[in-house]
Amino acid sequence: MAAFSRQVLDWHRLIPLTWACMARQTLHLGEQRRTTASLLRKLTTASNGGVTEELSCVRSNNYVQEPECRRNLVQCLLEKQGTPVEQGSLELERVMSSLQDMGFSNAHINELLSVRRDASLQQLLDIISEFILLGLNPEPVCVVLKKSPQLLKLPIMQMRKRSSYLRKLGLGEGKLKRVLYCCPEIFTMRQQDINDTVRLLKEKCLFTVQQVTRILHSCPSVLREDLGQLEYKFQYAYFRMGIKHPDIVKSEYLQYSLTKIKQRHIYLERLGRYQTPDKKGQTQIPNPLLKDILRVSEAEFLARTACTSVEEFQVFKKLLAREEEESESSTSDDKRASLDGDEDEEDEEDNDEDDDDEDDDEAEDNDDDEDDDEEEQL
Amino acid sequence: MTYSVQFGDLWPSIRVSLLSEQKYGALVNNFAAWDHVSAKLEQLSAKDFVNEAISHWELQSEGGQSAAPSPASWACSPNLRCFTFDRGDISRFPPARPGSLGVMEYYLMDAASLLPVLALGLQPGDIVLDLCAAPGGKTLALLQTGCCRNLAANDLSPSRIARLQKILHSYVPEEIRDGNQVRVTSWDGRKWGELEGDTYDRVLVDVPCTTDRHSLHEEENNIFKRSRKKERQILPVLQVQLLAAGLLATKPGGHVVYSTCSLSHLQNEYVVQGAIELLANQYSIQVQVEDLTHFRRVFMDTFCFFSSCQVGELVIPNLMANFGPMYFCKMRRLT
Repeated sequence: MAAFSRQVLDWHRLIPLTWACMARQTLHLGEQRRTTASLLRKLTTASNGGVTEELSCVRSNNYVQEPECRRNLVQCLLEKQGTPVEQGSLELERVMSSLQDMGFSNAHINELLSVRRDASLQQLLDIISEFILLGLNPEPVCVVLKKSPQLLKLPIMQMRKRSSYLRKLGLGEGKLKRVLYCCPEIFTMRQQDINDTVRLLKEKCLFTVQQVTRILHSCPSVLREDLGQLEYKFQYAYFRMGIKHPDIVKSEYLQYSLTKIKQRHIYLERLGRYQTPDKKGQTQIPNPLLKDILRVSEAEFLARTACTSVEEFQVFKKLLAREEEESESSTSDDKRASLDGDEDEEDEEDNDEDDDDEDDDEAEDNDDDEDDDEEEQL
Repeated sequence: MTYSVQFGDLWPSIRVSLLSEQKYGALVNNFAAWDHVSAKLEQLSAKDFVNEAISHWELQSEGGQSAAPSPASWACSPNLRCFTFDRGDISRFPPARPGSLGVMEYYLMDAASLLPVLALGLQPGDIVLDLCAAPGGKTLALLQTGCCRNLAANDLSPSRIARLQKILHSYVPEEIRDGNQVRVTSWDGRKWGELEGDTYDRVLVDVPCTTDRHSLHEEENNIFKRSRKKERQILPVLQVQLLAAGLLATKPGGHVVYSTCSLSHLQNEYVVQGAIELLANQYSIQVQVEDLTHFRRVFMDTFCFFSSCQVGELVIPNLMANFGPMYFCKMRRLT
């Protein structure tokens, strides 16, 4: 009997201590109260009935224990309760059940546990919770974390701060999935950098707030782009191609590389199949739709929009690349030298005209009034 | 009349080529160490398209369609060697440099420009007139054949004739330039009928035209601008007069090639037909157009030809072979 009471006394000391340690660990996060409570429930159900009364009245203890001791206590506790013992398996169970509550399947959970590496279980849970709160579904969360496990290293405060910023940008409510797949660094990059891109789109390119959200959502790669390049890409669409803001957004134009845009646009322009609209926004021919220029495969672009052979386009791309290279380094003198003895009836100075600037002389000659048969038009 | 009407579905491909960098050929200077130069150019992976065409000449002759073609030696000016890169190859030739004999090794030109000279079919000992010779590439090619007993090179513009002189200086040895083998003048080509009627075995009339390729690039002073419309309308008239003069300067039985670097049939076929008519009506001189179908066939691997010319041949630019435009028509003065 005495032995038994000693045992009870021992327990009496052990359990509050254990509980207090756990509570200290978890109490600073408000949301964990729920899990703490369920943990408490687990403890109470596992223990013998007689101990319940002691648990319900907690007395603060001044005992200080090392973490290993705490773990050992848990182990002991678990041993005595007859449950299987693993390092921190209690926490593991807790985390697993939380994930299940969020909608993750067992397969998901296994995957998540395998990618976490040296991040703590709590860290894993915190980060995942943030994603769920931002409106992502369990499946995409797994995909993202598998692809970019570095996200698990994020301090949770930064994660929270970034989440709230993204919500302000309109990227909550499940809009985040595509962005995360393409550009996971949206969580790790400096907020200033995201800010700079957003400001460029709003203040220099004059997109509306909704348009900016849509752009970030559909073309997340803009976050990675050099600001000068991004602005130039916009100007190219607006001034050179004559595309207005709504179409730039709708066509997801900003996701394409400038090289591809220029190749296809300049090709069409020189073929005579694309014209920059005049001041009134009019063209003499109907321009092909942006989606038929950029969104389609090269084969389809050539067959249906450009209507030329594949080999012609291959040569054109090479010529254009060389033109761009040379206009940057402007080696006009070399060009002139290599044209020594140009056969054409031209003065020498004219030989190194840049082909970049497609000046459409035919715009001048396609006269409305002049119907002279002899007039040459291009 | 717009080019898109004239060329239909071909026009976009032509247009994009006109607006992109053109392709050059390297005409080997026979007055330099030409075999050495040829070897150097071959090492760059370029090929002599003239040689290739001539080796196909006999192979291509098929019975039935037209009379058997004259042998290559009759129909094609000899000794011309011109290297180009393969179809689709956009490599450039290095700038020409003087060789061991003190003259430049090769001359970079639009390879299509050589075709009128080839088509003229010079024979050794011919007396040749180049009526609108400047800036001088075709003149140089005429000299390369080694066939010119005498060559008269003329152009209305003194400044452009000066360019021609410079080219001759860089490419042709003194003894040929300074003798009376080559005569350079700056007179009005339209007067040649009176000046030297019935004189020449071969005449090249490479007229001033709208130079379409460069006109598309040039903003200022562009011939297609509305302000120069009168000039454009007058051009075919001038061209007819020049061709007529060239025909009058030809010996009966002699040959003339008319050429332009324009796509417009108003400057091409229209002018040929107009000049032939003029000679028949005003001078009672018969001129016959010579068929170049076989000629065209052997050069088809290198150049893109337009198949619907009423008379003559037209090289059209294509990104795979960005030569031209070059129109040429061969005629024989019968009487």
